[in-house]
Amino acid sequence: MKSEIPRSLIDELTDELEPVRVMSASDGIAMVLMALAISIVAVAAVGGLRDGLVSSPPPTLFLIANLLYLLLGLAAMTAVINMAGPRVGNRHDAPKWALAMVAVLPLAAAVSYANPDALFHELSDDRYGWQCAVYGSLAAIFVTAALLLWLRRGAPVSPERAGLWSGVAAGALGSAAYGLHCPIDTISHLGFWHVVPIVVCGALGRVAMPPLLRW
Amino acid sequence: MIADEKALSRLMAASQRGDKQAYTTLLEESSRWLNRYFRRKIAPDQLDDLVQEVLVSLHRKRASYDPARPFLPWLAAIARYRWVDHLRSAYRRQEQAFDHEDPGEEGGQEAVLARMSLDRLLENLPEGQAEVIELVRIEGHSIAEAAALSGQSESLVKVNIHRGLKKLSALIEKAE
Repeated sequence: MKSEIPRSLIDELTDELEPVRVMSASDGIAMVLMALAISIVAVAAVGGLRDGLVSSPPPTLFLIANLLYLLLGLAAMTAVINMAGPRVGNRHDAPKWALAMVAVLPLAAAVSYANPDALFHELSDDRYGWQCAVYGSLAAIFVTAALLLWLRRGAPVSPERAGLWSGVAAGALGSAAYGLHCPIDTISHLGFWHVVPIVVCGALGRVAMPPLLRW
Repeated sequence: MIADEKALSRLMAASQRGDKQAYTTLLEESSRWLNRYFRRKIAPDQLDDLVQEVLVSLHRKRASYDPARPFLPWLAAIARYRWVDHLRSAYRRQEQAFDHEDPGEEGGQEAVLARMSLDRLLENLPEGQAEVIELVRIEGHSIAEAAALSGQSESLVKVNIHRGLKKLSALIEKAE
């Protein structure tokens, strides 16, 4: 059997043709960085930045944790932006490695305590733990919106994966943004409560975004 | 003969700038390429519909093509996405015989085509899943027939189809 070229469809599509602005990765990155900047401004406006953020050298653990969240967010963001322009042969492995590096933090928090009970007590005594988890997740909203808009304009061929990594990117960048407010620098706080937004937003992105991304 | 990769990339870049003549040629060439691409991987009477769906997707998502990159891997990813989508949709039993015509040699692109083929996508599934997807969703057998032909129970056939289709959608860009 030989199929015919759908002539009428080709004519119709040609009639409708208009110039388009090609989606370049740099536009997508600029859009997400703008969203991140808005998140940071919102954190500064609502909660204020932590004392001595600029005037004194920041604690090492604060730097390590928040830079790891920032790197995870950037790696996942780049992968998501590339997912909008599909191609057989594309690999999106970078965020997996970045996520593995971030996983070192909760792991370090767990092994630094003598037993699980001690860690549990430390976490449950942390009065600001839930606050950081919730506000870090809320700070992810702007990045989520930017990535959603970008993906809906593009052609993601794996909406589940795009949703998952969008959530991880937004959660990690939200956590890094909120980290500029949080004054607590213990490994249990940074390694657990500041990872919660990544896990929660990743799960939400995986579940909630695919229906919005199918085309 | 189907135009070569570089020519297709140039046609698509011109189309993005609004060149209607280039776009007509591109759609004609893409249509020929898609007919070959989907051959024997879709019931014959659904082939035209699927090709048209991909052409409409190409039109709607043309801004997502990066003109600095090859065109066919982009088109193949969209074609695979629409094909998996098609396999997922409710399937009516097809009675027609399949076209077993030899794909032939066209344009010296066999190696490229093979690398991005739908077979390559199915090869990445466990054998049991690929077999029942081919039997039920591509060849149109019933679940009972597929169970008899594959030696799997009917419930396992259903589970394997479900799991296989889920996995296929995750492999669209990867499997090459």
